[in-house]
Amino acid sequence: MSNLFEFPEDREASSAAKVRALEALLIEKGVLGSDSVDAVLKHFETMAGPFNGAKIVAHAWVDPAYKQRLLEDTPKAIAELSLPLGMAGAEGEHMAAVANDSEVHNLIICTLCSCYPWPVLGLPPYWYKDPVFRARGVREPRAVLQEFGVTVPPAKQVKVWDSSAQIRWFVIPEQPANTAHLSEAELAALVTPESMMGVALVAAPAV
Amino acid sequence: MFTRFEEYAAASMLGAPDSPPRVDGKLLFTNRWERDVFGLALSLAKAGCFEWEDFRQSLIASIARWETADCADQPRWDYYERFLEALLDVIEAHGVLSRSELTRIIKARVPAADDAATH
Repeated sequence: MSNLFEFPEDREASSAAKVRALEALLIEKGVLGSDSVDAVLKHFETMAGPFNGAKIVAHAWVDPAYKQRLLEDTPKAIAELSLPLGMAGAEGEHMAAVANDSEVHNLIICTLCSCYPWPVLGLPPYWYKDPVFRARGVREPRAVLQEFGVTVPPAKQVKVWDSSAQIRWFVIPEQPANTAHLSEAELAALVTPESMMGVALVAAPAV
Repeated sequence: MFTRFEEYAAASMLGAPDSPPRVDGKLLFTNRWERDVFGLALSLAKAGCFEWEDFRQSLIASIARWETADCADQPRWDYYERFLEALLDVIEAHGVLSRSELTRIIKARVPAADDAATH
């Protein structure tokens, strides 16, 4: 008979075998359905994630009329795109977009991760729940942005948006220069979650 | 206000010792079994087998055990190894599976085909 520590050098394979046996037994006993695990993971992998936000932003860049609609009625504009169901429904219905431009830089903050726009941004970064980040974001947004590597010129206004249960904000960052020739999919690949929170700019692809 | 259990569960771990690895707003799984064990824990809590908070406390305890273990025979740090240990503990504590069933799980071996493929 084997014992628990028979293959210490093969720990990865051993863990994989245990997880497989565990899932099989739980399904066999009827504790879980055969697709339960995939169903919850699908939420993170295809339903709620920064890839959705990136598609929305890229479409707004290539279609100014769409961008205008996105700013005026965010849920309705999101519903126009072929994104997973629920994006413009229960979870996304309080979302609102703000756009960076030559005169304004937007920053979103929130202390409760429940107010984070999960459907478009995915998992919040670790510092997002830090009360210090939120407090300083309100008090000295330019200094906080500087620490993230974003220098906002003095002439440019910084607007801080506090997400709440009523409205979950996200930022449409500025399209980087010299990217007009890129396809919408190529543009979407440039958009990071941080840029949609306003703590980063979108960089042009390395040449 | 959360309308999705999945988001509530993931958010409750953020900024705490049991926070899962992630990159660019996505969960980071290095191996397929890590994705599966994460999904199993969420699915079982969602099915009401235990409270998500019970699992979290089990995970925090598992991480603490690793941190205070002797260095000599301490395996290298692996978040999802602790995650699996915590899940088996909470499954036993809540009687989702019996001890003998869990013993079978713990003794589960790599199938011969996989074994051959990795050697």
